[in-house]
Amino acid sequence: MNPTLTPEQLRAIFLAASDPGTARAIALASSLSLAAAVLWLVRRRSLREEYTPIWMGVAAALLLVSLRLDWIHALTRATGAWTSSSMIFFLGEVFLVAICLNYAVRLSRSGVQIKNLAQEVALLRARLERVEDAAGSPRDA
Amino acid sequence: MSGRVLVIPAYEEEGRLGAVLEAVASANLGCEVVVVDDGSRDATAAVALRSGARVLRHPFNLGYGAALQTGYKYALERGARVVAQMDADGQHDPAELAELLGAVERGDADLVVGSRFLGRGSYRMGALRTLGRRLFQGVARLAGLAVSDPTSGFQALNRRVLEVYARDFFPTDYPDVDVLLAAWRNGLRVAERPVRMHAGSRASTLHGGLRSVYYVYKMLLSTWTAARRRAEAPATEARRP
Repeated sequence: MNPTLTPEQLRAIFLAASDPGTARAIALASSLSLAAAVLWLVRRRSLREEYTPIWMGVAAALLLVSLRLDWIHALTRATGAWTSSSMIFFLGEVFLVAICLNYAVRLSRSGVQIKNLAQEVALLRARLERVEDAAGSPRDA
Repeated sequence: MSGRVLVIPAYEEEGRLGAVLEAVASANLGCEVVVVDDGSRDATAAVALRSGARVLRHPFNLGYGAALQTGYKYALERGARVVAQMDADGQHDPAELAELLGAVERGDADLVVGSRFLGRGSYRMGALRTLGRRLFQGVARLAGLAVSDPTSGFQALNRRVLEVYARDFFPTDYPDVDVLLAAWRNGLRVAERPVRMHAGSRASTLHGGLRSVYYVYKMLLSTWTAARRRAEAPATEARRP
């Protein structure tokens, strides 16, 4: 390596480097595998349709990246990041944080619904016991 | 039914609940006594049934706040005019409830909190818990509500409060100063009366170890939320067309 290179020159070299075909192939295979996995999970009823748009969107984004790596390079230049791979990692992290927050919101909603259902069970059981008491029929302690 | 309901949330209290229910019977409050068994694995429900209490059983453990709210929902369903609540660990003396219930029935306030720090009794708190109490007291005062005992679970309330507390905002774990603040922000009148209390287990269960850190964090967050909301949204069911 030439020791006289400045960091800016080094960055330019990173961004100008041609994309290896294997990286494209891996990205393409990953996107197609993800789409296939989502469809398979829906087919065997392990994943509900309403949860699929986000994962199909991820598969589409991966497909787009595999076909147009130059868009990632442009984004890297625009944001001042050093390498395209760090840009991809950053976008991935943002996505993971966003999806975790989304699931936390869904869990909170489900928690309230489960609590309300459990309370309703307790209240209905008490109402049944009152009816049974009024009718004079025996009930379990 | 007299229109009075006493709600006692209980979780694995088979050892102490019997004595508490005996004390309740001796106090002759004229209340329908409702024990909310919060998914206990011991004989809590059986002890309550033997004492003649109405027992509401959660299919699994939901938390102290959820157990209280189940009692509120039951009281609403039964058309109760006024509800009292006390803990199942023997911390609260049911003889003190007559004054709390009377204050609500006279219309002195919509919600009356039994306070350990208004002169009666000699309740002692550790340094950390005193610090926590003062912190929440200060936060409530900043929001406009003056209470001396923001963590007291010894209370009496009327139907207007029940209607607010039956909504989805009510916490499943620790309903303390945040729900008092929510009631107050909903236009309900909050008052305190001096009571005597014994050392109980709820404080140590809720506020021990790392939980105490979470408790302070959660309470500050929910107090801030309650202080900023004008009024709590109606329950999920009520929003449906």
